[in-house]
Amino acid sequence: MAMRARQKIRAPRKGLGAATGVDAFESNWKALSSSLKRIHTKNASELSFEQLYRDSYNIVRYQRGDELYERTKQLEKEWLCEEVQKRVVGGISSSLLLANEVVDIQDQAVERRAAGERFLMVLKEAWEDHQLCMKMFTDVLMYMDPRKVSIYAAAMALFRDHVLRSPIRSDATTTAGDVLKSTVLFMIQLERSGHMIDRALIRHCIYMLEGLYETQAEEESSKLYLTSFEPEFLETSTAFYKAEGKRLLEMADAAVFCIAALDRITEEKERCLYTLSHLSEHKIKEVLDNELLRNNLAEVINLEGTGVRAMLDNDRLDILGKIYSLNARVDTKKAHLTAAVQKRVVEMGKEIHTASVAIAQAPAPLKPNGAEAGQKKDKEKEKPANQLTTSAIKWVNDILLLKQKFDNIWQQSFQSDQVMQTAITASFSDFINSTPRSSEFLSLFFDENLKKGIKGKTEVEVDSLLDNGITLLRYVKDKDLFEAYYKKHLSRRLLMKRSVSMDAERQMISKMKMEVGNQFTQRLEAMFKDMTVSEDLTSSYKQYIDRQGDPDAKRIDLDINVLTSTMWPMEIMSSTRDGQVELPCIFPREIETAKHSFEKFYLSKHSGRKLSWQPSMGTADIRATFQRSNGKTQRHELNVSTYALIILLLFNDVPTGESLTFEEIQARTRIPDNDLIRNLQSLAVAPKTRVLKKEPMSKDVKPTDKFFFNNEFQSPFMKVRIGVVSGGANKVESQDQRKETEKKMNDERGASIEAAVVRIMKQRKKLIHSNLISEVLSQLSARFVPDVNMVKRRIESLIDREYLERVAEDPPTYGYVA
Amino acid sequence: MSSSDPTQSEYVTLVSGDGFEFIIPRSAACVSGTIRRMLDPSSKFSEALSGRCVFENLSGVVLEKVCEYFCYNDKNKNQTNVPDMDIPPELCLELLMAADYLDT
Repeated sequence: MAMRARQKIRAPRKGLGAATGVDAFESNWKALSSSLKRIHTKNASELSFEQLYRDSYNIVRYQRGDELYERTKQLEKEWLCEEVQKRVVGGISSSLLLANEVVDIQDQAVERRAAGERFLMVLKEAWEDHQLCMKMFTDVLMYMDPRKVSIYAAAMALFRDHVLRSPIRSDATTTAGDVLKSTVLFMIQLERSGHMIDRALIRHCIYMLEGLYETQAEEESSKLYLTSFEPEFLETSTAFYKAEGKRLLEMADAAVFCIAALDRITEEKERCLYTLSHLSEHKIKEVLDNELLRNNLAEVINLEGTGVRAMLDNDRLDILGKIYSLNARVDTKKAHLTAAVQKRVVEMGKEIHTASVAIAQAPAPLKPNGAEAGQKKDKEKEKPANQLTTSAIKWVNDILLLKQKFDNIWQQSFQSDQVMQTAITASFSDFINSTPRSSEFLSLFFDENLKKGIKGKTEVEVDSLLDNGITLLRYVKDKDLFEAYYKKHLSRRLLMKRSVSMDAERQMISKMKMEVGNQFTQRLEAMFKDMTVSEDLTSSYKQYIDRQGDPDAKRIDLDINVLTSTMWPMEIMSSTRDGQVELPCIFPREIETAKHSFEKFYLSKHSGRKLSWQPSMGTADIRATFQRSNGKTQRHELNVSTYALIILLLFNDVPTGESLTFEEIQARTRIPDNDLIRNLQSLAVAPKTRVLKKEPMSKDVKPTDKFFFNNEFQSPFMKVRIGVVSGGANKVESQDQRKETEKKMNDERGASIEAAVVRIMKQRKKLIHSNLISEVLSQLSARFVPDVNMVKRRIESLIDREYLERVAEDPPTYGYVA
Repeated sequence: MSSSDPTQSEYVTLVSGDGFEFIIPRSAACVSGTIRRMLDPSSKFSEALSGRCVFENLSGVVLEKVCEYFCYNDKNKNQTNVPDMDIPPELCLELLMAADYLDT
């Protein structure tokens, strides 16, 4: 260590102030105590802080700190008992002592309120003085050793014990604290019943309670406010809101209830902020939630006439929003509201359903026995299919409106709540699936719109229309059923060229693809592809014919659609009916030539393919010449179905005035009975397109009926379109057709299930029965909801066919047989 | 230096036992807990009203050093790498006592 010349350090004089070196405790204390008293009487400005500080400094320096502490406490206690307490008690007037009795608010309120305010004012002043004085004391006595309990906290405890907790009169047990409590509660009661009160004043007194502690350690939880005031406050609040809830319920208006409840909630919150302590905020909220909401909300929601049901019906979005926020407060799942909304959705769905049935039945009263509801089923069959179709479309439209309505409510009132959305979606899905024909109706809706509905609409409108339909599709569980119907309807639209816009069709397909998946639309897309390929084919066939240079003027313009048989709906493709193979119908010579020529052309391009002709789907334009009896001739262009064309061509060979019977026509054409009847009906019965005459003239076509060519055919138009009776348009299926579709559906589902089972087993090799079932269900759920029994049967059948084997009994387990 | 309202003036006067007066910024003086309490306007002691603090038991030499420290502290507030203050060794014990007294 480097040695340096050190300057001498002078020893300081002993202590800074105690120049005398004498322990002057008594004299110092005397000066100090008189000064402290003057602080109490607010005469501090005459005092020198430095002097007081120096006095206490000296006392402490001579190890007399403890004594100083005790003496100060004593001094303060005397002051509180003699002065402050008397002042506070003086502020209590007799009317306040009636505290706990039920006071008739009207009578004594004014008086009691004035007295209460007076008392609170006195107390507040006493408290504030005490606080200020104690702060000054602490400042002056700063040099005192930091003790376990600071002089400030000790003085606060003294205030608590000697002012708040001491009886106001020697013979009474009531304390100033009790009076304070009852007074504040009374004030709150006043405010709850709509009076104005001095919030700031109460707030100050509450500050005092917050500033005082039960124990000297001053823990948060031992605040006097929490221990002595809050419990009673919560208790009275509970009672109040119980009564309030009852009162509001008796008024039996859900809207009023909601508004009142929300007002109360904000009111209490405000009270906690401005009048009481924020510590109570969540507690009073709990009380409100419990008493006002949790106990009553279910009843409110279900109130007859004004409850959620009425709100939904009358679009009371604001009130719904309120009731939503109320329910959300007490229940994150919002069970009551959800249940009510769901119930209403299902109800409204049912209404729509009955309405659609009613429309379907509208013409029923025309018949005398129409009133009988029990015969609904039979009548439905007889109903003109048109009626049903309209009702189906109306059904979809109504559901869309309903959906829109609830979407709107959900956004505006339910704050786009996830839970609510799931609930609404679930109930929509429920009631839509409760209608077995929903997929058919929905497909009809698309059909109708793509055929007519979108005419004259902008792209955006079409888009939203399709989107709406797609949302409904989302709810439909049996998507495969929908696909079957859609395919059927689409094929009609495509083949008969009824679609307004191919763009819209494609858009629709791509939307479905996004919604349901690739697999779903595969076949639909294949149908479109067939159509485009066919167009090319037709034009190249025309070129081929042209090159052949066939000079035949009566040549037939052939438009061909070559369809891949697996992709198109089975009804169209099947040449079998009721299990019997039907012989292809006999084409007239002219057609047969064209047919052969095309077959030759097609097979030269694609060898090894088989073409089968579907006359039931085609149409033809023919030029017909009518020889009037007055010798004139009249030409009309007729647009007819292929079958009708065949029938009409027969009459080319029949001399005028002669007839063909039904049976003859049948034998010569081999057109299936159904189609033949329908075509003859449209040719001979329909009033505007009577190209044939029938004998006898009646609506039905009987095997013995005779048909004549009607040379007297009249039409104002050059071109006449002869539609096939109930054949061409897409309509609601009759009961029989439905059964058939369902049967086919089941077969197809069986195949899908088997495929799924095999797929899963191939991958897993070995699997327990229940796991297999659940995996199958989850794999297929995108397309339809398989019936568990059906899955079981399919598994059995696979075992029989030795794709699977049972490898264990308990639990039942299957193995994959490679 | 004192304005009409001493409780709010920017400077305060510190007086030593032997009569030296030091006028320093209020913010600097309030580094000392004792002086801060002394000048607290809410307690209304005579010092707070006049803005003048007399320290009977501090000598001018010590109080000067104390004031120097106050200003030094105020100037270098919130800074790092501050040069040390020069303290004459013969004063250091008395300064320690003063620091204790002033709660600095």
